Amino acid sequence: MPTEREFQVAPIVPESVMHNTKALSNLQSLTASIFGVAAGILGLESYSGFLFYFIFTILTTILFYTFRVAPTSLKSGLGAFDTSRYFRTQYEFWAGGVFGGLAGYILTWTLFYGLVRA
Amino acid sequence: MAQLPPQTIQRDPQLFYWILFPITVVMILTGILRHYATVLMASPPKKVEQPALKEQRSLMHGVAVRSNFHVLTAPSFKARREFLTTAFESGAYLKDPERRGQPPANPMTDPGAMDGMMGMMKNNMAMMVPNTLIMSWINTFFSGFVILKLPFPITIKFKSMLQAGVATKEMDPRWMSSISWYFLCYFGLQFVFNFLLGSDNDGAADAGNGPQAPNMFGPGVDADKQFQAEAENLAVIKHYSVLDDVEQRLLEGIKTR
Amino acid sequence: MTSSLLRPPGHLSPATALQLSQQAPIIIKNSPGAVTASALSSLFSAPETPELWTIYENLLLSCLRTGDEESAHLCLGRLVNRFGDDNERVMALIGLMKEADATDDATLEVVLKEYEALLQENPTNIPIVKRRVALLRSIGRISDAVTALIGLLDFSPTDSEAWSELSDIYFSQGLYSQAIFALEEVLVLQPNAWNIYARIGELLLMSVKSGSGDQNDSAKQLGEALKRFCRSIELCDDYLRGYYGLKLTTTQLLNDPPKPSKQAESDGLAPPNLSTLQKLDGLATEKLGEITRRFTAGEKGWQGFDEAEIAAAKELLEKSSSTTVR
Repeated sequence: MPTEREFQVAPIVPESVMHNTKALSNLQSLTASIFGVAAGILGLESYSGFLFYFIFTILTTILFYTFRVAPTSLKSGLGAFDTSRYFRTQYEFWAGGVFGGLAGYILTWTLFYGLVRA
Repeated sequence: MAQLPPQTIQRDPQLFYWILFPITVVMILTGILRHYATVLMASPPKKVEQPALKEQRSLMHGVAVRSNFHVLTAPSFKARREFLTTAFESGAYLKDPERRGQPPANPMTDPGAMDGMMGMMKNNMAMMVPNTLIMSWINTFFSGFVILKLPFPITIKFKSMLQAGVATKEMDPRWMSSISWYFLCYFGLQFVFNFLLGSDNDGAADAGNGPQAPNMFGPGVDADKQFQAEAENLAVIKHYSVLDDVEQRLLEGIKTR
Repeated sequence: MTSSLLRPPGHLSPATALQLSQQAPIIIKNSPGAVTASALSSLFSAPETPELWTIYENLLLSCLRTGDEESAHLCLGRLVNRFGDDNERVMALIGLMKEADATDDATLEVVLKEYEALLQENPTNIPIVKRRVALLRSIGRISDAVTALIGLLDFSPTDSEAWSELSDIYFSQGLYSQAIFALEEVLVLQPNAWNIYARIGELLLMSVKSGSGDQNDSAKQLGEALKRFCRSIELCDDYLRGYYGLKLTTTQLLNDPPKPSKQAESDGLAPPNLSTLQKLDGLATEKLGEITRRFTAGEKGWQGFDEAEIAAAKELLEKSSSTTVR
C-alpha cells in the first residue's frame, strides 16, 4: 500500500497532532464564547445572530491560518489554504470550529441577551 | 399577515440573582467536583503477577513487531518472525499453559475482571448521580419560573421541553424556564471547563465518553487465541523496509529543499 | 532552566548538570514541600503539578552527579513524603541514594542484597530490577548484569530502555551482532528514534572496522550502515551524528570497496553504485561543513550541537580534505 508506506517513511507524531488540535479547539471555544457575549450585548436576534457567529468564526479561522499556519506551510511548498502540514484533515481546520463552539456561543449569547435586553 | 407585537413579560430582577446565578454556579462547581472525583477514584494500576505480565507484554511485543516491521532489514525480520510464530503457536508465553484450549473462565469469578467493571461503574456513577441530583433540585426549587428569552425563534414543539412546569398556553416558546437553562449550561459549559481544568478534563458531561482504549487483555478473552491470531498476522506480512532506496530518497529530498 | 529540569539529566554536559545542582537549594526553597492535608490551605498554595515531581527527580539525579548529597537528600525526602517509600520509582531512587552514599564495595554488596530481597517479594518491580542491573554492571559483574537484564526482558519484552542498556553492555564487550539485535528491538518499539538508527549504523561500521565479522559480510554490513545513517538523517534534518557516520561510511566504501556478495544482493542491502556513493559523500561533506561553520559562527538556530561532536566533525573534514589533496 503506497499510502501506508509513505506514513512509515515520513511518520506523523501523534503528540504533535494532538497538541495542534488542542490549541485550535481552545481558540475556537474561547472566541465562540466571546462572540456570544458580543452578540448578546448588541442584542442580535435570530438570523443576524447566527450570521454574526458564522462570519466571525470564519474570520478567526482565516486569521489563524494567515498568522500561524501560512508562513511555514507556504514555505514548505504546500498550496494556499492547505493545512496538511499541521492538521490531519482540512475539514477539522476549516469547519470544526463552526460546530465545536456553537454550544458555548448559544449559552453566552442567551445569557447576555437575557441580561441586557429582555 | 398581521405582525403580532412581541410579547413582553415583566420579570422580577431578583429572578436573576436567585435562579440563574445559582444554577450556573452550581453547574460549574459540579463540573469541577466531577473532574476531581474522577481523578481521585481512578484506581491505581493493579499489580500484575509476573506470568500475567509476561503474557501481556509478549503479545504487545508481537504487535509491535507486526506493525513496525518496516524498521527491520529483511533477514532480521525473518529471524524474528520465525522465532515469534513458533513461540506464539506453542504457547510459550501463556500465563498457565496447562489451561490451553479450555473455555475462558467466567468473568464474574475473576477478581481482575471485577476490578475493571468497578472502574467503569464508578465512572458512570460520577456522571449520573450529580446530573439526577441537580435536575431534581431544580425541579423542586425553581420550577415554574420564566427566567430568560432565547435570542432566536424556535418551533412550538420545543415549548413543552423549554417551558416545563409553566402552564401558559399562549406564551412564545422563546421564553425559557429554569430547567432549560440547566440544559443549555449542560451542553455549553465545556469551554469553561477547558479553561478552568485544562483541556483533557472530565468536567463536562459529554467529555466523559471519550475514546475508550480497547481492552485487549480484558476478562473473558482467551489469550491463547490471541497469540494464535497474532502468529498468523505475523506469518502473512509481506516484508519491505524503510531502508529500501533510502539513499535515493535522501538525495532527492535534499535537492528539492 | 526549568525546561531542562523536566528531562532526565543523562544527556546534560557536566557543566549544565553542575549549574542545575547549584540552583537546587533555591528551587527546593521555592517549591512546595508536600501537599498539605487540609483542603483549605491547598486552595491557596501553589498548585501541585506532575512537573514538580519530575523536577525533583531530575534535580536529585543532577545533585548526585555533582556530589551535592545534601540537596539530593532533601529532594528524596520530599518525594518520599508525597509518594511514600513503597512506590516503585521512589524505592529505586532510595536505592540509588544508598549506592551514592556507599563508600566501599562491602556497602554496595549490602545494597545489592537489599535489592534482591525486594525482588524476592515482588519480582515485577521493574525500577528495582533496573537498579540492580546498573549496580551489577558498575561493580564489574557484567555477566550477572546481562543475565538479570535478559530475565527482565523475558517477562517484559516491550521495555525499550532495557533493550538499549543490553545493547550497550554487549557493545562494551565487543559483541556487535548481539548489540545490533538489541537495538533493532528498540527500533521495533520506537520506530521513529533517529538516534537509534544512527547508533545501529555506528555499530555496524565499528564491527566492519574491527574485522570481527565475516569478511564476506562486510559489503552487506556497510550497505546496511549506509542505509541506517541515511534513514536517521531523513527523520531528523541536520543530524550531526548521522552525517558524520554517513561520511565515514562513504569514505570507507569509496576507498576500500568490499567484494560484492550474493548475500547482500538478495537481502537488498548491497551498497549503492559509485556515482550515488560519491553524491552521498559530497552531501555529507557539504552538510558537515555547513553545520560546523554555522555553529562556530554562533548563528541563531544552529546552536545546541554537542561541542565534542562538532570538534570531531571538523577533524574528520580536515582529514578528508588533506587526503583528497594528496
